Amino acid sequence: MPKCKINGKSITVERGTTIIQAAAELGFDIPHFCYHPGLSVPANCRMCLVEVKGARKLLPACYTQVSDKMEVQTDSERVVQSRRAVLEFILVNHPVDCPICDQAGECKLQDYYMDYDTQESRLRTPKVSKVKVYPIGPEVVYDGERCILCTRCVRFCDEITGTNELTVVERGDRSEIRTFPGRELDNNYSMCTVDLCPVGALTSRDFRFKCRVWLLKSTDSICAGCSRGCSIHMEQHRSEVQRYRPRYNPEINDYWMCDAGRLSYKELHRDRMLKPLINGAAYTWPQVAEKGAALLRESIDALGEEGADKVGFVFSPQSSCEGLYMARRFAEEALGCTRHYVGGRPHGDQDDFLIQRDKNPNRNGLLLQFPRGQRPQPFEQLLADMESGQIKILYMMGSEVPVEGAQAERFRELLRELDLFVLQAPRGDGLDELARVILPASTHAEQRGTYINCDGVAQQTREAFKPLGSSLPDWQIAMKLAARLGAPLTTTFIAKLQEEMWEAMKANAQPAPEAPEAETTEADDDAPEEAAAP
Amino acid sequence: MAAQTVTLERQKRGFWVQTYLPEIFKGMGVTLKHFFGAIAKPSENIVTVSYPEEQRPYPARYRGRHRLMVREDGQVRCVACMCCSTICPANCIHIEAAEHDDPSVEKYPETFVIDQLRCIVCGLCVEACPCDAIRMDTGVHCSPFIAEDTDDFNALEGELRARERAFYARDLLMEAGDHSRAVQGGRRSF
Amino acid sequence: MNFIDVALIPLLKIGVIVFGFAMLIGSMLTLAERKQSAYIQRRKGPNRAYLFRKDLRLNGLFHLIADGLKMLLKEDFVPHGANRKLHLLAPMLGLMPAMVIFAIVPFMDYACTGAMAAPIAGKDYCFPEELGALANAPLAELSNPLFNADLNHWFQVANIHSGLLYIFAVTGLAVYGSAIAGWASNSKFSLLGGLRASAQMISYEVSMGLSLAGILMIYGTLDVNELVREQGELLFGFLPQWGIVLQPLAFFLFLTASIAESKRAPFDMPEAESELVAGYFTEYSAMKFAVFSLGEFVTVVFIAAIVSTLFLGGWQVPWLYADGFHFTAASMPSAVAAQQLTVEAAQSALTANTNFAPDIALPYWLVVALRIGGFVTKVLLMCFLQLQFRWTVPRFRYDQIMHLGWKILLPLSIANLLITALVILLV
Repeated sequence: MPKCKINGKSITVERGTTIIQAAAELGFDIPHFCYHPGLSVPANCRMCLVEVKGARKLLPACYTQVSDKMEVQTDSERVVQSRRAVLEFILVNHPVDCPICDQAGECKLQDYYMDYDTQESRLRTPKVSKVKVYPIGPEVVYDGERCILCTRCVRFCDEITGTNELTVVERGDRSEIRTFPGRELDNNYSMCTVDLCPVGALTSRDFRFKCRVWLLKSTDSICAGCSRGCSIHMEQHRSEVQRYRPRYNPEINDYWMCDAGRLSYKELHRDRMLKPLINGAAYTWPQVAEKGAALLRESIDALGEEGADKVGFVFSPQSSCEGLYMARRFAEEALGCTRHYVGGRPHGDQDDFLIQRDKNPNRNGLLLQFPRGQRPQPFEQLLADMESGQIKILYMMGSEVPVEGAQAERFRELLRELDLFVLQAPRGDGLDELARVILPASTHAEQRGTYINCDGVAQQTREAFKPLGSSLPDWQIAMKLAARLGAPLTTTFIAKLQEEMWEAMKANAQPAPEAPEAETTEADDDAPEEAAAP
Repeated sequence: MAAQTVTLERQKRGFWVQTYLPEIFKGMGVTLKHFFGAIAKPSENIVTVSYPEEQRPYPARYRGRHRLMVREDGQVRCVACMCCSTICPANCIHIEAAEHDDPSVEKYPETFVIDQLRCIVCGLCVEACPCDAIRMDTGVHCSPFIAEDTDDFNALEGELRARERAFYARDLLMEAGDHSRAVQGGRRSF
Repeated sequence: MNFIDVALIPLLKIGVIVFGFAMLIGSMLTLAERKQSAYIQRRKGPNRAYLFRKDLRLNGLFHLIADGLKMLLKEDFVPHGANRKLHLLAPMLGLMPAMVIFAIVPFMDYACTGAMAAPIAGKDYCFPEELGALANAPLAELSNPLFNADLNHWFQVANIHSGLLYIFAVTGLAVYGSAIAGWASNSKFSLLGGLRASAQMISYEVSMGLSLAGILMIYGTLDVNELVREQGELLFGFLPQWGIVLQPLAFFLFLTASIAESKRAPFDMPEAESELVAGYFTEYSAMKFAVFSLGEFVTVVFIAAIVSTLFLGGWQVPWLYADGFHFTAASMPSAVAAQQLTVEAAQSALTANTNFAPDIALPYWLVVALRIGGFVTKVLLMCFLQLQFRWTVPRFRYDQIMHLGWKILLPLSIANLLITALVILLV
């Protein structure tokens, strides 16, 4: 256990710890470009050079391991001079086109320039011009002039995805990042290189020129693209999500996320239903709760004594645990419905890294709402039950259906034959044309909620912006309707609701302690923030 | 030079000041003078300008109208960096950026709208612009009303139309602008 | 006594005086204040509201309607935790005393339906056409003119013998409106405002009452109309002995104290907007708020009316008497002579003797009109003066208000009382 001194402060660290990590632990931020905690260390940018007592030259903090009795100065005159020189060197051929550059505002080069350099260029010769707006991959655009050749992107493709598309070509001031001949940067995680790029050399084709980063407001949330549920920064401007950025969470996704998930923010704003409708007429929530409840009650009563048995309730694994908990109570207590089914998106691709086959973020959370043995039946069973006429009334959460092709068509036809079809979802997806009652729900971006991923890790989302239009979180909709149906669900505050919900989920997980869901109870809600990274 | 201390005598309040009454009468005299002055000769003594029927004349060097500068080839100089819309305290600049065909230009404003009525003419956009693309020049904003005697006037939608008219779009702003020789990235040129 | 006498005429009087006079001037004052302050500050003031045509603005007169409509249409907001009943009651209690006080304000002497009235020692007397049993009665016994004046001939809603006490009684009630409003609103600003209002109004009521005691001693009556009649006498044979002439100090004391009672600047600590938002009516909106502000302006009118009545000769127009102008006391019978005259002798003396003819003879209806006009003019002038005062003098600090009330006004009014008593005793 070597003990060292950094800027006069002592610290004892594990053997093998580098100076940059030890300094971060003490709260000293050492500027760096090429170092990234998730990647190997090439020490090629020379930005993190620090002064070590006894060493004649400055040493790279990212590479040098702490040894016993080491004394490090991270902000001495010599170090600052060196940083200034490094920055000047990097900026020799940099175009300084910050106004155009998407990275401006979160650019390390910009930040360090303001911290250490702030001088005009002394270069009198024309700058070397390199490739601009080079389509290096389907999702990524490369700008050779801005590139500082830190090779983070190259290392990412080598070490994380193992696809090896990128390399450095040419030499000296003509060096550029390129793909190998015949290849392009098209792996499933290619947009992580945009996050990794400390300058604006790699930009996302999707986010390019869309919004300046200083206008974005960031909220800790999750990606709802698959059951992995990667931790993300959800960044929005004026109630419109502009991009997702992975948030460091060693339990789930480390520093990374897939391209499909990253672009899944578009779902949040696609085809949103923003007004509660009954038979096509828009109402306010109090009205729609009253009329909707009356409609449900009438339709159930019209089916005779066994009416409640002909009600089907589809739970969506897209919804949060809170929404599902209240929905289950609403179905059982207010509607008296016992036929429960699971909806959600159909399965898709998967890989051995992050992407999961199950494209729904909260299937585990959904299952935990029900005691073992009473879990909802698969969607295929719903089709069969509808076919046989056992279901006359359908209350559906979420507009996603896990069946495709002919089966989906058949489902739509069967919906037409129902007495009453209530749709509670953020999006219509074509089902809104068939529903008599439409209850617009808000997405996970607009509410607090708990999601349990494929490994049983629970995460909290926060409200990034207010619910769009008149939409409401699922749990509030359930409460409104239940109150009108004469079975009020008493919870009024989400904190109280969450307490109740965890109690219920713990009880449901009890009989099978070996089940993976059991660990949800210990899973921490707030994943630690990116610690060693900048 | 060392700082000097000057001790000021506190003004003594005499008996009559302390009784307050004469001072009140004096004050009443002042306000009455103003009151009757304003009634007797309103044109001289009342300083209110009844905007928008009356307008205070602007000084000759007043710069109240935005213009967008152009490049040598007549294209808009703005690169849609949003610095102006970010700094704008009135939030009156709306810019939508798009990819330019020429990779050396790269980014340009597809739409650039200034709400002239919302603008408070602070000139911060000019300060913020890194490319000398926006300037404020001689002229004033448009009127918030449409005069009743013009063809444009329509009692019902008059104010709405006046509102729309205040949205100065890119091409309109460029008409007033001309070629700027400033070099991007600072004062020095190669 | 028939229905007309008992109900219709009093109701008509109430309607005309309260709604046609007090409320009308009060509501006009809302605009007047804005206009007047504008002119003082060299602005134009409100002038945008128009009716029918865009150029039909009448210099902002329609703002009266616009403001009223706005107040009617606004949301009536009651804060959470407020006492709803008291919250509703407070504005009514605020407006009520200001309006009730107009019951005793005399707009004219009682109307003489008998023989030509004539002034004796500066007071008009009205003799019945048929003198009958009265003929030999000494004139001094008839100093109370009530004996033959029909109740409905009073230009006053109620001719109360102790009218002055009635004024104090009713102004004492005014404090309830603001105190209850402050309490019922469930807001610290309101409560502070209410407390300040109560303290201030109670403090100033003392010197207000004492400053009037001198008036009371000089004229020797509590009847407000009689007080005005007394002010018609001529001092030194040419100067009408108005209250302000006999009691100049009391005039200032009373004016100051009553402005403090009305809670207007410079005594507007209860609603000091820089510290208490709006004081006791912070939590009021819509018509309740309007009632409070109307109450304030009606109070201004009532102060103007009382000050004019007690100190500025009420309906008296200088040297104008029932038969016309008498510029000197020589042109009417003296009080000493009146002691010995019988009614008949007086009447014949007045009608026959050209010594007692008025300097300028006027028909009686014109005298009535002049007197009512004179009174209204005085009231308007006093209103104007109060508004002017409000826009001239900066607001006092709270301790200064208390200091002024207890340590300056109160001793001064007591001194005024003592001196008056001494002078009456000696003279």
